[in-house]
Amino acid sequence: MKNKIINRRSFIKGGFGGTAATVLSLKSARAAGDFDHYPDSMGVIVDLNRCVGCRSCEAACNKEQGLPEPEKPFNDYSVFDAHESGGHGGAGRRTDETRYTVVNKYELPEIDHPLYRKSQCNHCLEPACLTSCFVNAYTKTPEGAVIYNADVCVGCRTCMIACPFYIPTFKYSSAFSPRIMKCIFCYDTRLKEGRPPACVEACPQEALTFGKRVDLLEIGRKRIRQNPGGYVNHIYGENEAGGTAWMYLSPVDFGEAGFDVHVPHEPVINFVRDFLSIVPMVLVIWPALFAGFHLLANRKEQNKHHHIDGGEE
Amino acid sequence: MLITKKRGIVWVVAMGVVLLCSAAGRALDQSDAPESVTIGLLEELYEPVEFDHAGHTEMAECSDCHHHTAGTVTQRWNCKKCHTNPLEGDTVSCADCHSPNRFDSQYLATLDNPELYHVEKPGLKGAYHLNCVGCHQEQGGPTGCEDCHAMTEAGEQRFNAGRYSPAP
Amino acid sequence: MKLFASEKQEIPISDHFKPDGSRWTLKEKLLLGLSFDDYRKQLVRNPLNWLILIIFAIGVPIIVERFVFGLGSVTHGSNDYPWGLFLAFGLFGMVPLSASGFMLGTTVELFGRKDFHPIERLALLNGLLGYFFAVIYLQVDLGMPWRLPYPMVVSLGPAAVLFLVAWHVATYLSVQIAEVLPSFFEWIGWLKGKRMIRSMVLCLTIAGIILSTLHQGALGALFTYPAGKLHPLWMSANFLWIQFLCSAVFGGLSMLIIVSTLSKWFLAWRCDNQFLDSLDKLTLGLAKGAAFAMITYLGIKFMAIAHDKEWVYLFTGWGQYYLLELTIGVVIPMMLFAFAVRNGNAQMARVAAFISVFGVLWNRINTALIGFNWHMYQEIPHWKEVAITITIFTLYLATYRFILYRLPILYAWKGEK
Repeated sequence: MKNKIINRRSFIKGGFGGTAATVLSLKSARAAGDFDHYPDSMGVIVDLNRCVGCRSCEAACNKEQGLPEPEKPFNDYSVFDAHESGGHGGAGRRTDETRYTVVNKYELPEIDHPLYRKSQCNHCLEPACLTSCFVNAYTKTPEGAVIYNADVCVGCRTCMIACPFYIPTFKYSSAFSPRIMKCIFCYDTRLKEGRPPACVEACPQEALTFGKRVDLLEIGRKRIRQNPGGYVNHIYGENEAGGTAWMYLSPVDFGEAGFDVHVPHEPVINFVRDFLSIVPMVLVIWPALFAGFHLLANRKEQNKHHHIDGGEE
Repeated sequence: MLITKKRGIVWVVAMGVVLLCSAAGRALDQSDAPESVTIGLLEELYEPVEFDHAGHTEMAECSDCHHHTAGTVTQRWNCKKCHTNPLEGDTVSCADCHSPNRFDSQYLATLDNPELYHVEKPGLKGAYHLNCVGCHQEQGGPTGCEDCHAMTEAGEQRFNAGRYSPAP
Repeated sequence: MKLFASEKQEIPISDHFKPDGSRWTLKEKLLLGLSFDDYRKQLVRNPLNWLILIIFAIGVPIIVERFVFGLGSVTHGSNDYPWGLFLAFGLFGMVPLSASGFMLGTTVELFGRKDFHPIERLALLNGLLGYFFAVIYLQVDLGMPWRLPYPMVVSLGPAAVLFLVAWHVATYLSVQIAEVLPSFFEWIGWLKGKRMIRSMVLCLTIAGIILSTLHQGALGALFTYPAGKLHPLWMSANFLWIQFLCSAVFGGLSMLIIVSTLSKWFLAWRCDNQFLDSLDKLTLGLAKGAAFAMITYLGIKFMAIAHDKEWVYLFTGWGQYYLLELTIGVVIPMMLFAFAVRNGNAQMARVAAFISVFGVLWNRINTALIGFNWHMYQEIPHWKEVAITITIFTLYLATYRFILYRLPILYAWKGEK
């Protein structure tokens, strides 16, 4: 798997290297292709069975990231019931420029208590935002975070188009420094130093378990195995979008808990590969092909001229 | 840290955790238990919780909370596989097994030990809440955060609540 | 202007010299050979100018608002629909309609079809302006024009499709400027510049084909990123780029039929006889090309559905909408084009061209806005977003007209070449 990825990257890189060979330094080309999976990267597994919807994570995130004051206090649980109009088509709350994480409530007939689901950036192993960014504003750190550099961002919002989880949001309110706003796994303040993100630390129920991604997968499988009636046999994020650092366990089908179950089980870049692979071909073949057509077409014309000339003589 | 052979005494510790242990080889009974326990783990954001231990001993078995350490046999099938001896355990304090720093890099490093069975052991805060809230949900006890926890000023700041509520 | 052109013999200007032998000055050329008063009179007399004025009066303040208060002040600022009309219409719609430049450049310069020469310059100009205004739309959307060169010099992400679009549109814009420059050089009378461009024309044309193939395709490939968000009927990892490229071919040709028709209708005074006389024949030539591109396009559409086994979607509401788009946007104009070519009916080809351009725009909007997030709610653009889109399109038309009035696009320059 690892080898495959490296090959694919260098292949793509090669294609574009040809496009802009004159302007690309080798260094920047390498940086853009440097997407290897980090074996020791960290992650979080979210257990929907444990979440009680206390919104402590939202409050902790707000303070840790210095986000604006919320419209309602974080201990106001009416936000779960008021389906916001306009913003998200009545599909519950979503992350935006004022909140990097939100918890939504799902009342399901088959379980006797409401189900809560926290959403934030899932920190993909091969992030769509990163691969679609043409100014290289995103970085996947070895610790597992997908971080963003506002200084180079032009505000094209392709990352928002590409993200299968609808996570990056845009600071639409700013005219002079619009930027992407999204969860960065508390990279600057915590993860870099080996500490868990603020939301994990704040969670009273340990619904969020922080650890190495590989260990979390084992924990997840163990919980499912030990309580087969309590969980569906799937870890959301193990393979979704090629694998994510944040993963989920759920007692009901993930679709019922607001997850997009149609997210492909491979990195988003795979869908773009077909096009990327024709780029070098067009670059190399077209000039010769069309120059050839030109010669053929004009040869005919020259012959014609000859003919006419000949006829006149 | 371990204090033995002291029974029936309420200990309020800096971490706010009761460190209560039985004499080796003797089972605890309900009369050994403290009347109440003050838990101040979240004292930054919340006032300490005065836990009515005696009241809860009337509603639950010791093993419901203390697993196999309080001298009664645990009912959990998964624990029973190993913990068959009811007299086992020389501490009943939650904090002696459940780490308050569950996600520290040092703690996480201990999980790398391939011999370790309890990889899934919750941290102290998780242990409290999973146990308390889980039972309260089943038994119809109070489950709201502020039913047990009164917010401090720092807590109100954190939650933009009370005096720090956003202007309507 | 029509009036002046019929009254005064020296107007419209098509030579460096007035009838009395003196040279037109640049200012006179800009004023179309009219006195300042006459120029103002023709401006005021034309009702279209009043319409333009009204649109600008409403739209320009809104554009200013956008740059002062941010994108959120003129759009719904949706995080679910990050791309709105500016990009769906302005970028994804304008670029395919501007494929005429590379199509006709290839036809005339590469394949040696000199019979299309009278319309070549119009095609090149149509390409240049379309791209230029697509970039204007893009700038209004991004709102940080000073960061425009970032993907080129500050921070490069060469593995992204948009990187390719940025580079190719930028390069192609330069190519197109170079291709249109000869008419400008003729007009100002700098022949050295014209000869210089002339010597590079083959290179420019081939560069044009490469860049167009790739960035027209790349615009389609951009929509393979949201693989799971775009309705499966519109989404095709394998074929979306080639569908975009192929529809750009007939989109560009149809757009050329439209602008040449409009020129014939409204700017006949500016067209020379060569243009007017050959237009019907050339229109049918373009129609033939468009019809072929359309049948190819339908073939690729069919393949895409077969490849991804999406037949079942055709029987849903979305499927019917999809078929409606294809029927109105492609099948009907294709048949009209075919009948037009067969019966030598240029008028019919013109009708078909209008429908076909609408079809391409519709397809782009379906891909970028309607089929996007198909399992979610539908975003309806803010009225200010619509107003800005219309304003910039009006600016595009005004610029178009300004150039057609002056440069030797619709007519051959009579002075030294």
